[in-house]
Amino acid sequence: MHDIILNSEMLFKGLRITIILGLLSGITSMILGCILGLARYSKILPLKIISAIFIETTRSIPLVLYIVFIYLTCSPILASINIFRDDIFGSLEFQSAYIALSLFTSAYIAEIVRSGLKSVEANHIQAAKALGLNVFQRLQYIILPCAISRMMPALVSQFISLLKDTSLASIIGLIEFTRSGELIYERTFRETEILILIALVYFVICYGMSLISQRLEKRPFALIRLGF
Amino acid sequence: MYNVDFSVVLQAKELLLQGLMITLKVSLMSSILAFVLGVFVTYLRDLPNNFYKIITNIYVEVARNVPLLIQLYLIYKVYPHFGLTFSPINCGIIALSLYTGAYISEVLRSGMNSIVMQQKQAAYALGLNYFQTFFMITFPQAIRIVIPALGSQFINLIKNSSLVSFIAVVDVFYVIYKGAADDFRIYEFFLVGALIYMILSGFVALITNILEKKLKVYGREVRV
Repeated sequence: MHDIILNSEMLFKGLRITIILGLLSGITSMILGCILGLARYSKILPLKIISAIFIETTRSIPLVLYIVFIYLTCSPILASINIFRDDIFGSLEFQSAYIALSLFTSAYIAEIVRSGLKSVEANHIQAAKALGLNVFQRLQYIILPCAISRMMPALVSQFISLLKDTSLASIIGLIEFTRSGELIYERTFRETEILILIALVYFVICYGMSLISQRLEKRPFALIRLGF
Repeated sequence: MYNVDFSVVLQAKELLLQGLMITLKVSLMSSILAFVLGVFVTYLRDLPNNFYKIITNIYVEVARNVPLLIQLYLIYKVYPHFGLTFSPINCGIIALSLYTGAYISEVLRSGMNSIVMQQKQAAYALGLNYFQTFFMITFPQAIRIVIPALGSQFINLIKNSSLVSFIAVVDVFYVIYKGAADDFRIYEFFLVGALIYMILSGFVALITNILEKKLKVYGREVRV
């Protein structure tokens, strides 16, 4: 216990990086995933083929492979660009982990978005067409409100696994929550306490997210009030 | 300009094959164990016993909400303090089966929920006990519905098996990572690695499709 309290600053730093990484790549992958999912849902053939190839290849590759590949190939480019001087955002490890996690999760989100869009009944779309709504109006008023409430559980579980997957960024040396714990127990030999503490923190965050999503599922209109 | 040169990968052919064997061994063993565990947990959840329900719920929630990497480290580094020492490969197998078992039990449970109550009641009325009802009436119907979801869990398991390289098991990913980092032939090694994983998961997807078609009962399709 003593070692945890002494090193709590490092653990908090790691936790901060984990949460920032999860949030940022969650937002990015949501945007990318919606674009990809719409591209695969659309009737324009080149868009469909390109997005299908990206989605299917990404979904059949392990995330670790993806992270390491992005790190090894993109870090020279990222180093030459070097926009951020900040100690978190400026590190190559953070940037490559962010790119890899966003791309990887966006493929999964694209599939969720596509299946949500496909689950909207054809009758509704036909009725909207008959009323004279154009593509964007159909999406905005008919398809999306229906699809989003059906996509919500799958989306939340995808975000939970994204947060869990940030622990894999430790392979390229990003000092996030798992790696900071590792660094501490490599010095103090207190694996038991630190690993159990880390597991508990992850559990609390992820289980909390799943509880919130369960409550939202029971009251789907809360989402609309929140601005979705 | 980058010169593509696959001779380096060919030189590492034997290591790659050994790694592939390890990956196959880990994923095969843990998929069998995870499936058995998942079925067992589903059975316990199906029993009218609150104690089992609480225990299995705790297990499933913990296994699903803690990263696999942490579970792997817990088994590899913490269990020896309590007198449970496994070889790294066995650690990987245990962690993967515990992790995937929880997911499989969730998938199976969603299948069990889609079976109507009357099936169970009719089975009890005919004098079957819980065990017989589960394995002869409800479970065979439930598993047919969830075969695609089960297949994607097994694909996830194969992909997650690359995490055993974190505890120094020389699997395909380890060989590829080391090869790419040592020789700077990043593209070649990662292309081969991606292909290997794609073939493995494609194979599982193929088996899933075949099973789905073979086991389909006409008139019993799921209404979506």
